[in-house]
Amino acid sequence: MTSFTDMARTWWWLVHKDLLREWRAPRAWPAMLLLALALAMIMNVQIDLPARQRAELAGGMFWLAALFAGSVSLDRSFSGEQDQACWQGLLLYPVGPATVFLAKLAVNFFPLCALEIALVPAFTILSGVSLLADPGRFLATALVANLGFSAAGTLVSALTTSLAQRSGLLVLLLLPLVLPVVLGAVQATRALLVGEPAGWWSWWQLLACFAGVFVTLGTLVFEFIVEE
Amino acid sequence: MQRHAVKRSLLLAASFCVASLLAVCGWAIFLAAPREITMGDVQRIVYLHVAVAWGGLAGCVTMGVAAAAYLVRRNPVWDRWSQTAGELGWLCTTLTLATGSLWAHEAWNTWWTWEPRLTASLVLWLVFAGYFLVRTSLDDPERRARLSAVLAILALADVPLVIMATRWFRGIHPVTPEMDPRMRLVLLTSVVTFSALLVLLAVLRKEQLELAARVESRERAAGIIN
Repeated sequence: MTSFTDMARTWWWLVHKDLLREWRAPRAWPAMLLLALALAMIMNVQIDLPARQRAELAGGMFWLAALFAGSVSLDRSFSGEQDQACWQGLLLYPVGPATVFLAKLAVNFFPLCALEIALVPAFTILSGVSLLADPGRFLATALVANLGFSAAGTLVSALTTSLAQRSGLLVLLLLPLVLPVVLGAVQATRALLVGEPAGWWSWWQLLACFAGVFVTLGTLVFEFIVEE
Repeated sequence: MQRHAVKRSLLLAASFCVASLLAVCGWAIFLAAPREITMGDVQRIVYLHVAVAWGGLAGCVTMGVAAAAYLVRRNPVWDRWSQTAGELGWLCTTLTLATGSLWAHEAWNTWWTWEPRLTASLVLWLVFAGYFLVRTSLDDPERRARLSAVLAILALADVPLVIMATRWFRGIHPVTPEMDPRMRLVLLTSVVTFSALLVLLAVLRKEQLELAARVESRERAAGIIN
């Protein structure tokens, strides 16, 4: 019990450290927000369709904007630790790799959720489609989609952080891996917007399954990525 | 020396067996299998398509399992098995996409459609490609083996998606179509033959990688490379 409490406390300090650093010297967050807004704007400018067809497409546009912008934060989550050997310093502390993974996962997960909270009203104004037609289910979709995306993204970001072509490889490896998340989130949101709750449930299950698999895999294999 | 000669003889015998199986398989596909009524001779692509699709999935699973074994045992032999399986898996997935596209052009009148199984197979191909990008980005053999092993394990997550795609997402890709018993037998022959060919290629490629690693370590010891 004590070890779990210790782990939770360490986890919180790691999350706190990264969030505070980004809060004091924002680098990824403003870029994420601006990229998401720019993508939402560009996609909505191009589409002039009747309301029903807009509702069919809105989920896709929203999730593409949110998850593309989310990859900006992923890129920063480990590269920020490279300065002045912070990463080596962190690994010298008696902190389990699984705790570091879960902390980094949270550091990617929370800003993505915050980004979507800001993006939903902006997207509703730009597209004329209310994404919150069924707020409870939309929230459930967003939570599992963000968790799956952040888990896979954290792993790939850790894997590529010390490679020569880091940013290019991050996107190349991440996009195929998270395709089920993009597909699941888009289809679940589409089902909500066109009023098909039965369809939503099967896509939500896929998202939850993906999140569960990647969080578990991450806690198991992260120690092999960070090994020196 | 004697062991090497035995190994060489075994490989030669295995190569002869596989070549014979390939000849039988070619005869079965082009001459023994009955002509399909709707699609005609184009349907014969299926015998190759199913065999290489199976090879692609088996390659991915073997790559992941060998990678996990490497992470547990830290024996470079497992890394070489993982790389070999990845290379053959990637080759088979490329052939799966190519043969599938040819078949789709005749059956669905399009070279490509965003059908769930096709999409999942393309994702698998991209994951294989990413695996090799990571391998080529790293010079240190131990780090290369470790990081690519993690990626190989992550790639395993795509396998159930490819297998279950048509059931979970209600696609148009055939699942278990009705077949003449002779067609089914030819399909089975093709799968067995290609499995044997892939095992033989895997053994040969792994031997080649062993030799390359031995040369590299001697070059390092001699100070020729860093």
